[in-house]
This record gives sequence, C-alpha cells and structure tokens, in this order.
Amino acid sequence: MTARFPHNHRKRLASCGSMRDCCRKTSVVRCREVVGRVRGASPRVFGTSGSPVDPPSAAVSVGAAWAHAPYPVIVADRDGALVELNDAAQVLWTDAARGDRLDDTVPTWLADAHGRFADGTREGTGLASGAVADRFFEAHPTPADDGDVVWWLVDDTDRRLAEAALTGARQRTALLADVSSQLLSTLNVTRCMEATARMATDHLAEAALLVAPPQGRRHQLTYAYRGGPVTRVTAPVDVHAVPGLAEALQGFPPVPARWINPADLPGWVQPADFAGPVGSVIVTPLPGHGVPAGALILLRSSGEQAFSGDEELFARLFAARAGAALSAARLYTEQASITATLMRELLPPRLESVHGVEYAGAYRPARDNERIGGDFYDVHPGTDPGEETLVVLGDVAGKGLDAAVLTGKIRNTLHALLPLATDHERTLTLLNSALLSSHHTRFATLVLASVRRRGSKVELRLTSAGHLAPLIVRGDGSVEETATRGSLIGALPKVTSATANVTLRPGETCLLYTDGVTEARGGPLGDELFGDDRLKRVLAECAGMPAEAVVERIQMLAAQWVGSGSHDDVATVAISAPRAADLTVAGGQGRAGGTTYRRNG
Amino acid sequence: MTDLPPPALRLTVTHGALELTVDVAGDLDLDTHDHLVETVTEQLARHPEARGVRLDFTELSWIDSVGLSALLMVHRRTRAAGRALYLDNRSALLERLLRQTGTLGHLTARPGRGEGATGANAT
Repeated sequence: MTARFPHNHRKRLASCGSMRDCCRKTSVVRCREVVGRVRGASPRVFGTSGSPVDPPSAAVSVGAAWAHAPYPVIVADRDGALVELNDAAQVLWTDAARGDRLDDTVPTWLADAHGRFADGTREGTGLASGAVADRFFEAHPTPADDGDVVWWLVDDTDRRLAEAALTGARQRTALLADVSSQLLSTLNVTRCMEATARMATDHLAEAALLVAPPQGRRHQLTYAYRGGPVTRVTAPVDVHAVPGLAEALQGFPPVPARWINPADLPGWVQPADFAGPVGSVIVTPLPGHGVPAGALILLRSSGEQAFSGDEELFARLFAARAGAALSAARLYTEQASITATLMRELLPPRLESVHGVEYAGAYRPARDNERIGGDFYDVHPGTDPGEETLVVLGDVAGKGLDAAVLTGKIRNTLHALLPLATDHERTLTLLNSALLSSHHTRFATLVLASVRRRGSKVELRLTSAGHLAPLIVRGDGSVEETATRGSLIGALPKVTSATANVTLRPGETCLLYTDGVTEARGGPLGDELFGDDRLKRVLAECAGMPAEAVVERIQMLAAQWVGSGSHDDVATVAISAPRAADLTVAGGQGRAGGTTYRRNG
Repeated sequence: MTDLPPPALRLTVTHGALELTVDVAGDLDLDTHDHLVETVTEQLARHPEARGVRLDFTELSWIDSVGLSALLMVHRRTRAAGRALYLDNRSALLERLLRQTGTLGHLTARPGRGEGATGANAT
C-alpha cells in the first residue's frame, strides 16, 4: 500500500478512505492531519506524464508523510523526466528541480534502471543500487499509473562499510593464520626468513627487507620484491643509518611510519629490482622469545599509496607472527647444532681390522631418534703390531644425553690412561677415582680387552668391571663364558677385578656385549627376555663367521626379538681371529686401520 | 582416579624397636629409583633412634642398573648416618646383578669390616 501512496494522492485526493488506507503504515493522527490539509487543497489531478507539474499543489497534495520521509524518494515519468522529489532527495541532488531530465540529474546507474523499468525491459523487481556522491543507495522502484515510476532510495552506506570492514578483518585473520602455518611448517631459519619476506611483499608492501640480528658485525639481509625472487646477502651494514632499525633490532616498539623520511634511507635498504624512489616505509621489530628475532623493513614506492595506520598495525601483527616462528626456528637450529656437536664426539667409532685382528662393532640406542646413549665402545690400536690393542665396551646406568655425557667422560679418561693399559686393575682403579662423585652413585660397567696377534692366533686379556663376561665362540660351535669378574666403576670407594686370558684360534670370535641384548624384552609372548641361553645358542650358530657378520646377526636377532616394543641401548663388539685365507688381507688393512684411529689422539 | 594402575614401585615402611624395614615391591628402575632414595633418606631423618635399615626384596619384580645405582646411594646415605643396611630376601635376579657388578660384598658388608662409610667421603 505504501508504495502506491503518491499515486493515490494524485488520483483521489479528496478520498479520505484512500488516505486512511495509505496512512495505515504511518499513524492515525498523521492521517487526520493530512486529510485536513487535503480538504483545503483543490481536488486537482496531475496532468499527463511529461507535462510540467504544479509544484505547490504537488507539495501540498503529496503531503508531509513522504515529503519529509527520512529516505530519498523521487518520481519520474516514463520518458525520464523528474516528476517529484522529497526533501531527503533534494539534499542529495540540491540543484534538481521538477521537470529536469533524470539523465542530467541522477547518476547513470539510476537513470538506466529507470529507463529499463519504465519501458518494461527490467528483470525481477527492478531493484538497482549504486553510489550517489559518497553514499551508497539501493533504489526500489514501484510503478504508478500513467507509467510514472516512484524510486525509493534506501541508504546502504553503513552496511556496506561494515561488510567491507568485516571482509577485511576476515581476510587479515586468514592471512595471519596462513602466515603462521606457512612459517611454522619449517624449522629452517633461512627458509623462514625467506618466507617472511616473500609473504610481506605478497600482502603488505612492494618490497621487504628482513634484517637478522647481527652475527659479529654482519647482518644477514633477506630481500624480497613483489613478483621477483628472494635474495640473501650477509653484509656489515650500518643499522643506525635506517631510522628506527637499531631500536627495532633491540626489540623496541616501532616508530610510526610517518616519522620516517624515505629520503633518509641508505641505498642498501632497497632490493635491486625496486624501481622508483621510496614513498613510505615501515620499520618493525620481529619479536622473538625474549630476544628479538630481527627487524622487518617494508617499502612502497612513491607511486603507491602510503601505508595507512591500519596497515601499520597489521604489519606489527604480521611481524609478531613471523618473529615467533623465526625465533622457534632459531632455537631449534641452535639445539640441533649443539646436539650434532656432542654426537660427533659421543658416537661410537667405525671399526675395521687392526694389526691382523678383525673388529666389528654395532650400536643401537634405546630411543631411535637419539643416536647416542648409555652404551659405548672404543678400539685403541697399539702403536705397532707387537703392541696390544685396547678394546673397551661399557654401559652407563641411565639413558639419553645424561648417560651419553658420562660415557664421553669415561672414554676420554680411558684414552688418557692408555699408557697404563697393560695393567687392567690399575687402569680401572684410576678410572674409578676419576669418576667417583659425592653427589651421585651413577656408575658404569665395562669390559677391557687387550688384544694382540701372535702367529695365527689372537691373545686376549679380558677384564670385566661389573660387566657381563665376554663370550667366546670356538671353532666347533661351543660357546664359553670367560672367567673374569670385577666391581663396577664410579660408585664404590675401592674396585677389585680378576683378568682372564683367552686365546682365539683362526675363525674364533670373542663377543663383548651389553645387557641390552640379553634383557631385550619381546619374543612370541611379548614379555620374555632374550636371555643368556638364547644368546649362547645364537652365537653357537655364528661359529666361523667373520666379526662383522657376528655383530650384524646378534643385533638383528635382538631387534627382531623386541619388535616394535621399547628396548634399552644395545652395543656389541666382536673380536675375531681371521681364518688363514684372510690373513694377508687382514694384515694389509691393519696399517690403514691403525692410522684411522689416531684421530682420537 | 580409582582406575589408576598400581604404582610400578610400592614401598611399605614399618618401624621396629631399633630398625626400619622397607618392603620394596615392584620395579626398581629408571622411572622409580628416586622414590626409594627419597623415602629412605626421609625415614632416616625422622627416626634417629633406628640403628639399621632393612630393605626387603621379597616382592621385587625387576631391577636395572639405575635401580642398583639407587641401592648404592641408599647404602651411602645409611652409612653416612652411621646406620647399618641389610638387603633381605634377595631374589635371584638381584643376587645375580650384585654378583656381576661386584657390589654384593660392598652392600652387605657389616660396618667396621672393610669398605665402610668411606664411600660418602668420596669426591
């Protein structure tokens, strides 16, 4: 009904019933008022469309109800001439007057929509929308008699702004989430810096420069240019030359972009591809975990819009995400490098033949992701074939890095004690006193084996310091446990030991092993120990095998026994007297092997 | 909370006239060794009248090298406090571990007979 209001007015001015109809949507009081006025006016009917309208009469006859409506309303005839407009419309088009051509008065989108509506080629409701000055309107047409069209304009500006703001906020949130997920997916510092610079140019600026914290006086600089490659340079740049950069690298909050004069920037700030002079700059810190992870410089050329306050704020949010990811990557890299350094020292050596005796060792740490643990072994070759080679295999109580550090201490101490190794008990006593601590009773058990080739046979002196006695595999497949006993190292004030002398004939092997083998839990029932007896049976099958094969086989069977279950460290060293046929080869390798092991010295 | 499995190591302390007895049941290993050392140390401080500590291993199901390290520490602490330590009802597993590592004599020696309290003075 409301839509027909102006039309009714014109056609049946005196009809109060009609007015009541039309006024139902306003109020009864208003209706009476209008009716009163209408009565005083001449019951004139508007002329045909296109003819000039009588303004005073129209104003009166149309009435206050829509003339003072808060939304602009215009009436145009089918030929595109303005028939009527209310106060709100007059505010929009101050110069508009009745009879003006719509084309000359209102924006094209509205004039076109009117054309389509008036000649019937419209689709749907004929609703149109567009800008009028700096506002945004939806225009709803309603047909009137004579082909006139009433356009009801609804101001849509605020909703549009809110929608734009919401869309922007959603995009920024999505972008920040994307930034985090992209950056956190790598723990490589360099890749992380490159990704930061690239994303900054994708979403924030034309060019970006990421300045890493100094290493000495040099900074790693990561340049990115929109659409170009990311480049890296390490250079001794003067960070004080860029306003706010030195502060940003110390983690101070950024200075507002408008305080930085782009003309003051040194040339190294711009990537090689950056075309024009710099128009605006943001220098923002990359906050890390406690220490700054660097600073980010964002550049736009003078041709582009300067950074807005919102963009500066967003740049800080971006920098916060990037900084967190970078500092996580940096921490990880540092730890990884420390671990790698330690591991290099703590990893067991690779064993070969030395002075005509075959050695083979294998080690499997308790946790597969740590290559070091509480078991260890070393082979210290004698200075010449006539000298004894010292083999050590041991086990420190505990697991992981703590245990590994103690194994390092034991291996170093034993190395220093090498000149005294002819006397095992004395060596163990000295080692024990070096390791005793009032703070803990962490101990190690170990086996010392002094090995010398004599003719085709190999002579062994074996001493156990609280460790499992070595096993000997004879040529006939029998397995002997060596008769050596002694006390563990590092917890008792005094240690005792008894040394066993053993001779290996060609093809015979002595196996040193840790309890990781015999205490491997698993098997068909899942909770059975591998045990001494099984180890002896397996070893019996290894009679005549080379040292390398014996070690491989024991490790493999122990690993199979455990399956996917958890296991302790497993270390095995086999010492074999080569079979007659292998003698020349083994002797030849002896010298080479001997030189290799000097690296420990 | 009632569905929690029983702890891997269960220690039950009983006070005799002159001795403390600690029943050590379950696994004495990397995960539980601290518990034994702390319990015995605390009991020693609380009962200065006790002349000796008895560890009863009847219900010990497992002990590894870290568990042995804990026994050595308990031994060191009791000797430092001037008390005797007794390892009662040693299982075959424990007996074998003590013999292999050469610690049986040390841990079971009576005070004044050889390797006494000197361990505590080690540096």
